Amino acid sequence: MAVQSEVCPAERKIVLVGNPNVGKSVLFNALTGAYTVVSNYPGTSVEVSRGCCEIEGVSYEVLDTPGMYSLLPITEEERVAREILLKESAHTVVHVIDARNLERMLPMTLQLVEAGLPVVLLINILDEAERRGMHIDIPLLQEKLGIPVIGGAMARKRGLSELRQAIASYNPDVKAVFGYSHELEKDLAKVSRHLTDDYTLVPRSIALLLLQKDEDAWALIKKAEPSRLEAIEKAVNDTIYERRMDLNLRISLERKRICRAILEEVIHQQADRAPTFFEKLAAWTINPWTGFPLLLLVLYFGIYVFVGKFGAGTLVDLLEGGLFEDYINPWVIDLVQKMTSWYWLRELLVGEYGVFTLGVRYAVALVLPIVGTFFLAFSIMEDVGYFPRLAMLVDRIFKKIGLNGRAVIPMVLGFGCDTMATMVTRTLETVRERIIVTLLLALAVPCSAQLGVIMGLLSEVPGALPVWVACVTLVFLAVGFLSARLLPGERPMFYMELPPMRLPQARNVLIKTVSRMQWYFLEIFPLFIFASVLLWAGKMTGALNGLVRVMAPAISALGLPAKTTAAFIFGFFRRDFGAAGLYDMHAQGLLSPRQLTVAAVTMTLFVPCIAQFLMMKKERGWKVSLGIFMMVTLLAFGVGWGLNLVLGFTGWLA
Amino acid sequence: MKCGFCGRTLPPPDKLRQKPCGACLGGCRKIHCPWCGYENPMVPGLLRRWRKKDNSKEND
Repeated sequence: MAVQSEVCPAERKIVLVGNPNVGKSVLFNALTGAYTVVSNYPGTSVEVSRGCCEIEGVSYEVLDTPGMYSLLPITEEERVAREILLKESAHTVVHVIDARNLERMLPMTLQLVEAGLPVVLLINILDEAERRGMHIDIPLLQEKLGIPVIGGAMARKRGLSELRQAIASYNPDVKAVFGYSHELEKDLAKVSRHLTDDYTLVPRSIALLLLQKDEDAWALIKKAEPSRLEAIEKAVNDTIYERRMDLNLRISLERKRICRAILEEVIHQQADRAPTFFEKLAAWTINPWTGFPLLLLVLYFGIYVFVGKFGAGTLVDLLEGGLFEDYINPWVIDLVQKMTSWYWLRELLVGEYGVFTLGVRYAVALVLPIVGTFFLAFSIMEDVGYFPRLAMLVDRIFKKIGLNGRAVIPMVLGFGCDTMATMVTRTLETVRERIIVTLLLALAVPCSAQLGVIMGLLSEVPGALPVWVACVTLVFLAVGFLSARLLPGERPMFYMELPPMRLPQARNVLIKTVSRMQWYFLEIFPLFIFASVLLWAGKMTGALNGLVRVMAPAISALGLPAKTTAAFIFGFFRRDFGAAGLYDMHAQGLLSPRQLTVAAVTMTLFVPCIAQFLMMKKERGWKVSLGIFMMVTLLAFGVGWGLNLVLGFTGWLA
Repeated sequence: MKCGFCGRTLPPPDKLRQKPCGACLGGCRKIHCPWCGYENPMVPGLLRRWRKKDNSKEND
C-alpha cells in the first residue's frame, strides 16, 4: 500500500475520477510528471496511481482512480474509486469527461456535486468534439452547474493551466443543488431527516444511495447510527412500497432530465454539418419504419446468405463432403478394420454412432464451419453496436408479451447459448419476467449452433425457411402474449443508454470470433464424443431401439421416419447435435422437404438440452422447470403435428 | 475490452467477480458484463498477447 508520505508531504489532495478512456491518466501524468507510485488499493488487486504536484506554491497529492460510471458501484474498480472519494477527504475532485459524450457522462457529475464533493469539471477531448462541428458553451455550463468547468485537450496540454488555476482558487463553500421532482424530493427528505451522524457525503446523497439499495451505504449507516437504523429502514421501505417502481430507474431518469435541461443551449452543433452515415444509420435502426426492414436485411444477408448458404452450404460441402467423405473417413475406417476384428470396437470407433464417424465428424465437419460463420456475423453486428438498438426496436413488441427491451439481453444471449441466457434472466427485475423469458428461451429461442445448422439445412430447400421462421415466431409471440396475461405482476419500464454505432474493427471481430470458436469447440467436442459413446452403448444393448419404440407413436404422428427419433435423442444432449442429425439424414436423402421442415420446427421448439434444463431447475426450482419442460414438449409435438397436417392439406413443400 | 452490448469497458477477467453456471467443461470462458449482464467471450491467452503486442506496436 502506498501511503501519502511515500509520495509527497502534501496537505491537499486532488482526486481524478471519470469513466474509463476519458484521459484521466493523461491528465495525471501532465499534473504529476515522472514521479508516481502505482500500487494496489488496500485489500484489493485494483491499481491506484499517486503522484505529487505543486500549484501556486502549494503542494498537492494527486490520485488517479480506476474508471467508474456511477457513484453506485458494481465492479471492484468502481467500489475502490468510490472508497477513495469517501475516505481521502479531497480538496478537489476533478471529474474528467469526454466532450463527445457529454450527455452520457454528465449524470455522474450531478451525482458527485449532489454528494457534496468539491468538484471541478474537466471537459476533455474538446479538440476532437470541435472537429466534429460541436461547440460547447463552457461559461454557460459553469453557470448552470454552479461548479468550475474547464474545457481542454489534455493530450496537447490545452486547458491545463486553467485547470491548475481552478484548483488553486477553488472555493469549497459554494455548493450547487439540483432539484428532482417534487415527489422524489419529498422521499429524499423523508429518509435524510433520520440521518444525523457526520458523513463525508451529504445526507441527501446518502438517502439517494439507501433508496437505491446500495450495500456500502447501508453498512455505513449500521455502523454510524445503530440506534436509528430501524427508523431509517422503515422510512426507506415505506418509500419503496409507496412508489412501487424501481427507484434506481426513477432516479436515473430524473438525472437524465436535469442533464438535458442543463445541456440545452450549451451544446451547439454546426448547422451546415451533415450527420455522418453512422449517425443516420443509428437513427434508422431504432425507428420501427426503417428498423424492421433493416433487421430483415441483416437476417437475410448476415444469417441466411452468409451462414446458411456460405457456411452450411459451401464450407460444409468442402469439409464434410470433400475432406471427410472422400479422404479421411475411408482411410480411418480402413485403418480400424485392419487393426481390429472386434465388432463392438469397430462400431465404437467407426460405426453408425462411432466416436469418429459421428462425434468427430459432426463436431468438426458439420457444426464447426456453421457456427464459425455464425460467430463471425454475430461479432460484426456486436462490434457495430447493433444489439442495443435491436433492444430498443423490439421493446414495443416485447411490452405486448409482458416484457421490455431489457429482456432482449437474455434473448440475444439465447441465440448464443440458452443455458447461460437462462442464468442471465436473474438480471431481470421481476420474477414474472424471469419466468416468461425462461419459458420462451426453452421453447422458441434456438442456440447459435442449432440456429446455424437449421438455417444451413433449410436454406437448401425452397420455402422451408420461411415456414420455419413463421412457425417459431408465431409460437414465440402467442406463448409470450398468453403467459403475460396469465401470470400476475407488474410491467417494468425500460431504460438504456445507447453506445455510438461505428465501423466494425477487423481485429476486434477476429479476436471475438476466434475466442468464441475456441470456447465452442472445447465445450462441444467432449460432449459429442460422450454422446456418441452413449448412443453406441444404447445400440449395442438394445436400449436405443426400446426408446425408438416408445417414441414411435409421437414420431409417426409427425409424419417422420422412425430413424428421426435418434436425432431427437441427440437433441437432448445438445441442441445442435440434434440439428446435425437431421442434416445428416437430409444429406442421405431420408427426409422429404415437408418432413424436414416439420422435424426442424419440432426440434427447435422441443425440450432444451440437458445443461439448459439443469440451469432452469437451478434458477426456477423443480416445480417451475418441470412445468416448463412438460409444456414445451407438448407444444413442440402439438405444433409439429399441426404443421404436418397443414402442409399435407395445402400441399406446400410436397 | 468493451462490452458488446452496452459499450462499457469491462474489467480484466481476473478482477471480475462473476459466478459461472458450471455447465461448461473446463470452466467458464465468458465474461459477463457487470452492468448489463451481456455475455462476452473471454479472449484466449495467445490472442491476448498478440493484441498487446499489436497495441504496443501502434503506440510506437
